Amino acid sequence: MKRNRILFALLAVAVVSGLLLGGCAKKPKVVTLKVMNYQQADQAGYQEDVKVWEDFQKANPDIKLEMEVLFNDPYHAKLQAYAAAGTMPDVFYVWPGSRSAVIHEKKLAKDLGKLLGADYLKDFSAPAIDPNNQLGKYMAMLPQSFTYTSVMYVNKKLLKDNGFEVPKTYADLKAMVPKLKAKGIAVAMLPNKDGWPMQSCLFSTVAGRMAGDKFFDAINSGTAKFTDKPFVDSLAVIESLYKDGILARTDDNVGYGEGPALFVAGKAAIMIDGDWRTGAYITDKASGKALIAPAAQESDFALMPFVAIAGEANPGVLSAVAGTGWALSASLPAGSAQEKAAVRLIKYLYSPEIQAIRFGTGAYVPTRKGVTAKVEPLVSMVPTFYAANPKTCYVIDGAFDPAVYNVLNSGLIAIGLKTSTPEKVAAEVQKAFEGWKANKK
Amino acid sequence: MSEEHKTTFWGAVGGKAAKSLAYAVMALFSVMTLYPIFWLAMNSFKTTREFQVSQLGFPVAPTLANYKGAWEFGEFAKLFPNSLIYTALSTLGIIFFSLLAGFAFAKIRSKATAPLYGSFIIGILLTIQTLMIPLFLEVNILGIYNTRLAVLLVYIGAGLPTGIYLATEFIKGIPSALVESARIDGAGYWRIFLAIITPMAVPVATTLAILNITGIWNEFALINILVSRTELKSLPLGIFKFSGSLSTDYGKQFAALVIGMVPMLAFYVVFRKQITKGVAAGAIKG
Repeated sequence: MKRNRILFALLAVAVVSGLLLGGCAKKPKVVTLKVMNYQQADQAGYQEDVKVWEDFQKANPDIKLEMEVLFNDPYHAKLQAYAAAGTMPDVFYVWPGSRSAVIHEKKLAKDLGKLLGADYLKDFSAPAIDPNNQLGKYMAMLPQSFTYTSVMYVNKKLLKDNGFEVPKTYADLKAMVPKLKAKGIAVAMLPNKDGWPMQSCLFSTVAGRMAGDKFFDAINSGTAKFTDKPFVDSLAVIESLYKDGILARTDDNVGYGEGPALFVAGKAAIMIDGDWRTGAYITDKASGKALIAPAAQESDFALMPFVAIAGEANPGVLSAVAGTGWALSASLPAGSAQEKAAVRLIKYLYSPEIQAIRFGTGAYVPTRKGVTAKVEPLVSMVPTFYAANPKTCYVIDGAFDPAVYNVLNSGLIAIGLKTSTPEKVAAEVQKAFEGWKANKK
Repeated sequence: MSEEHKTTFWGAVGGKAAKSLAYAVMALFSVMTLYPIFWLAMNSFKTTREFQVSQLGFPVAPTLANYKGAWEFGEFAKLFPNSLIYTALSTLGIIFFSLLAGFAFAKIRSKATAPLYGSFIIGILLTIQTLMIPLFLEVNILGIYNTRLAVLLVYIGAGLPTGIYLATEFIKGIPSALVESARIDGAGYWRIFLAIITPMAVPVATTLAILNITGIWNEFALINILVSRTELKSLPLGIFKFSGSLSTDYGKQFAALVIGMVPMLAFYVVFRKQITKGVAAGAIKG
């Protein structure tokens, strides 16, 4: 009995000592961050992106990332649900404009301008850190890129083989029509089945040239109308592109995803698209295949601004918009361990090393200054294109509500199909704008 | 040729023509249904480059790399078992509760029957989109967000309005005398439900199974908002990772779609007789 008591006492001492010693051994306190990532599994750069996150996790054992990975509409639907429930993830991916309107309008993201500070942000290009380029007029997110939505991808070889130079003016484009059309080649292609490409990749630039940002500001403030001459004239340019045979009316039946293959197959001399589309032509690291081989990218293709148009008030401007980026939940307590961990993650994602990876996969040209990477020729043309075309204008779907630009998108298709006129489309857009404004009140 | 012969001749020609036309129309619809499946499967064996060059031709050098890539990137090994669990348990739940409620509404009448039945039936008119945010808030408040329980409860709940409607209308057709005589013989409601109603309601149960198995297997919108952990997601969420408008890798995208489609095709091939019978029985008696 006595022996048992001694044994029990020894056991108790051992257990208590073990517990005390265990408690003394300091384990790093792990902070959990809920992250909502926007990731497409079949896009070039997917595997690199997976590694970016794995590397962070390995290098930061004191931070546990709870990742939710979605893409396209499901991502936005889930973000809306989180916003409605007031349970935003700690770190999430955001658009600067109306696509993420709820985040900006309800101020669900922290002001990164204040949180990251001027000293950190000085390493980013000026348009990226301008709060006026975001819907809520504060820095809810830090744009990773500044995207030009209007670029002419020119097949120089095809033009040269047919005796043409790279076009500079509308007249140059028009002069190519007879010869190329006879060979079954379109002068320019703009696949517009999805509605948005014409508005985003061409019309915004045309409207920026003919009307300008001040005109659209005046519409918003009620001192101008979509039915005014500059806007109608802009629509008339689109109409004449079809009438003159520069764009084929059949483009309205071509899906956006089908464009690159048709362009590379020589169905058109010029593809009108956004700068993000370079990624579709370069080598996919997973498969090792490229739509345009690197050597051919350099010798046979060029990125050019849309040609000069007669009567343009703002020559050379191109539509551009701040790209997507990361945001931190406004509900993260200021100065908390979670906020510090989230800032560490954000700084990692925007670091020169990670931005160089993004640049290298053709995802975008970073807003972080001085980022270099070994990229294929087509991607390396993008920063040069930016430098050569510094004057930008609004992308209409970034400046107006979907209730307005969806009507414009449909109207542009109708002009292409010859079922409407610039005047009618302008009147419809104005009506939609007035309706949206009345509802907003 | 006599008038009678003429009539017979033209009647026979007309009959053959009508039959040929009917077969032609059916063949057309068969092609319209089967060709997209065939096209998808065929292109899933091409590299993206080959697909971009030839969208209609047979694969020159068929590859299984798309399937391997889609399986790995889509994390289908995690999602597949979840789809099976959600589909099987939700369908069983919907059938069980629909028959139970259908029995009560059809055979155990009370003052509460009409309002209760109406409260279920109104659910048929509600779209998933209108329910998404309220459901998300509810599962958060209940503390079951990111659990399989939330998915199962919502799936069963979403399937009940149609299920109860079909089950009630079907069970109404079962003679009440059977229920009454069983009651006289001393059987309780549970006994009557299990021994009389359930065996007789197999056709409507089959109809419910067909409707729900395909519906839940392909369901995307609700599970997207109910869970965030990959370990709890289902196959459609994995497939959607390959569905971008700016997509560059069509091969993997098609392979992912085929992977999601194969179990449903297998389900049809194995149970096609029961499915045909079930649809017919459910349609006629329901």
